[in-house]
Amino acid sequence: MASKSRWADTADDAAVEAKLKREKEEKKRIKAEKARKAAEEEAKRKAQAEAQQRAAQAQAENEAANDDNANRPSAKRRKLTPEPGANEGEAAAKTTTDGESAKLLRFEAPGTGTWGPSRSVENYDKLNDIEEGAYGWVARAREISTGKVVALKRLKLDSSGRAGLPETGLREIQILKDCAHRNVVSLQEVVVGDDTTLGRIENIFLVLEFLEHDLKSVLEDMPEPFLASEVKTLLRQLASGVAYLHDHWVLHRDLKTSNLLLNNRGTLKIADFGMARYVGDPPPPKLTQLVVTLWYRAPELLLGIKTYGTAVDMWSVGCVFGELLTREPLLQGANEVDELTRIFELCGIPTEDSWPGFRRLPHARSLRLPSSSKQNAAATGSVIRARFPLLTTAGSALLSALLSLNPDARPSARDMLLHEYFRQDPKPKHEALFPTFPSKAGQERRRRRETPNAPGRGQPAELGSVDFSGIFANREKEERGGGFALRMV
Amino acid sequence: MAHMTNPLATVDQLYRRTSFSALPSDLQDTIFFATQCLTQAAGVLLRVPQSVTAQANVVLARYWLVDSPLAHEFSDVSAAALFLVAKLGAHPCPPRDVCNVYAYLLSPSSLLFQAASPSPTPSPPKPDPSTYYLTETAYASFHTRILSLEARILYALGFDTHVALPHPLVVTYLQTLDFLGQPRAEVARRAVAHLNAALLSPQLLYLTHQPHAIAVAAVYNVARDAKAKMPECAWWEVFDVDREELGFLVVAMRSLEGWARRQREEGEPLGRGGMITRGFVEGEMRKRGLNFGNGGPEGEVDEETALMQSLDQKADQMEE
Repeated sequence: MASKSRWADTADDAAVEAKLKREKEEKKRIKAEKARKAAEEEAKRKAQAEAQQRAAQAQAENEAANDDNANRPSAKRRKLTPEPGANEGEAAAKTTTDGESAKLLRFEAPGTGTWGPSRSVENYDKLNDIEEGAYGWVARAREISTGKVVALKRLKLDSSGRAGLPETGLREIQILKDCAHRNVVSLQEVVVGDDTTLGRIENIFLVLEFLEHDLKSVLEDMPEPFLASEVKTLLRQLASGVAYLHDHWVLHRDLKTSNLLLNNRGTLKIADFGMARYVGDPPPPKLTQLVVTLWYRAPELLLGIKTYGTAVDMWSVGCVFGELLTREPLLQGANEVDELTRIFELCGIPTEDSWPGFRRLPHARSLRLPSSSKQNAAATGSVIRARFPLLTTAGSALLSALLSLNPDARPSARDMLLHEYFRQDPKPKHEALFPTFPSKAGQERRRRRETPNAPGRGQPAELGSVDFSGIFANREKEERGGGFALRMV
Repeated sequence: MAHMTNPLATVDQLYRRTSFSALPSDLQDTIFFATQCLTQAAGVLLRVPQSVTAQANVVLARYWLVDSPLAHEFSDVSAAALFLVAKLGAHPCPPRDVCNVYAYLLSPSSLLFQAASPSPTPSPPKPDPSTYYLTETAYASFHTRILSLEARILYALGFDTHVALPHPLVVTYLQTLDFLGQPRAEVARRAVAHLNAALLSPQLLYLTHQPHAIAVAAVYNVARDAKAKMPECAWWEVFDVDREELGFLVVAMRSLEGWARRQREEGEPLGRGGMITRGFVEGEMRKRGLNFGNGGPEGEVDEETALMQSLDQKADQMEE
């Protein structure tokens, strides 16, 4: 009954509604405009492609007929779609003056608004391979009808072929299709090889927006590290992309520098959603712990937590932050145990105070940690501050927060965007002023990367019985003097 | 907003379905209804949540607007859609489970499609396991067909498997309406029942209307069923549905029951005791003097004939 008031028409309501209405109309007009332009382009493109196909496949009349059938309606539809939208806008404008009939929200479908068969990969010309490795094959290509340069990523199929198309690849496609953000790589379409006649569809390619660099190779080849202002620009874009994903219930689960792409306009985009998945709140109870490349994997995953959330991505963001500062991956463990050792060395030993409940995690039972009595509290604390002497107080506060052992203590991506660090001098550099680098992806084959790969699915996660009591054995003997460093800005 | 909206069928897709298909529309509706029922039954036996099965229903319906239903065996498409959707979510089904469940549902022992037999037996006959035993070869070939159809469905949908369901919305809407002043569980159950029934409707409601409209129609129907007192004003406009759309959906949802009952009473082909098959449809079309090859304009028919022929060839090859 409380909802009754929502129907009541007060003067305030009317004012608010009028305002909303105005905003909506404005949006609608802009959208319709955009859609119309896109439709024109699309239609042109379609027409070209069609003509080409007809010429090429004159002998296969049957197929050509099918293609026509498939192409024509969609082109027609796209041309028509924006018009009702525009009319609606006008209609809404009319009713505003009447003030009688209610205005209803029109829910529009994401993407093109309908569905139809995938196009053929033959619409693209391959330019050069970008990489071929554990992730499958990626090439730079040009769309023949528009000349637009894109990245073609081939969906890697299961070797056995008895499980069908891999769900990781399908999830990647679905998530990318649902995402639209300037810091998330955009998926233009999915195309298939030409062998689509009835039987098997084996060659599936994701047509992704092409970016010249990935952050890892840029870092490897830089003679000098990024300036503080540049680190802020990159980090802020990363946080903004991650915030978008988390707002849309997506966990990326494999954030690392080689999955962050950079174009020559200084824009960073998150890529490679092979590990990503949708989650709810509360998170689903049985998520796999075999996610995130080892060097970027959060301690709770290493300790075998079953229910985790967005904090695992934030840990990875912290690792990337550290890497941006030093050009070196922050925590290069040789295996799970070594990784955990390095984490504890950097961030200190967890205690019941700093991380309530960590003892109950599956693999924590086998941990033997040095007793954290009051005397050596200093020795078991975090050394992040000391490790990055050039970072401002706010900067190291942010880094320490991101690298909190306790996942609940890590800031969310939204919190991070509001952090003091980004408001301090030096301010984040404007993207347009960002330095450019020679593009490897654009020109030549890339070096094989040395980062370990994301964990394979179905591998057992086993930490075994481990003795961590030795980690800090020598540290207590170290000098605990001054520890001061000159700081430069 | 992507979580609440669906891509919708184009007018052209719907027009081609009704006007250019070689398949008479009554058969098309029968096939659609039976196959969606089969998918639902399989979802229950595979113990996947209804959210998964419902998405499979929608994916299957979308697929049949791109490829003709006659291109593949209906039960295979149903299995492939369910397998695909289950895999994408948090409840994957092993292929063997899927095959076993479908083998049972398609066997004479299955109770699905048998309820309309003239003398409904109070105690169902003891199932005969030999009728749904799946040999290794049968399993392998069924598995292969599912996998190739999985890829085919994805290809036909442009790899977009996004489906937003009205089920969560309907609960929210009922909450805002204070559950119409009725017992909560009962009202919610009825509303969800209306939504699930709408999945089976050959009017393809989930392909032509956004989830919020379907949810509002379900609320309206529940209110009518329960004779609940609703606000005097056009309350549906609060949920962004106009009178006309609501009216259409309400009528469509309410007419389904009668239509389904008539299907059963007419006996053919649902009452035949088993899932409708492509072979049956072929026979039926022949009886009506329709060949697979002379129903509509050339393009569509040629495509179907070609598909049929190559499938037949394949089947022959496999038997050899």
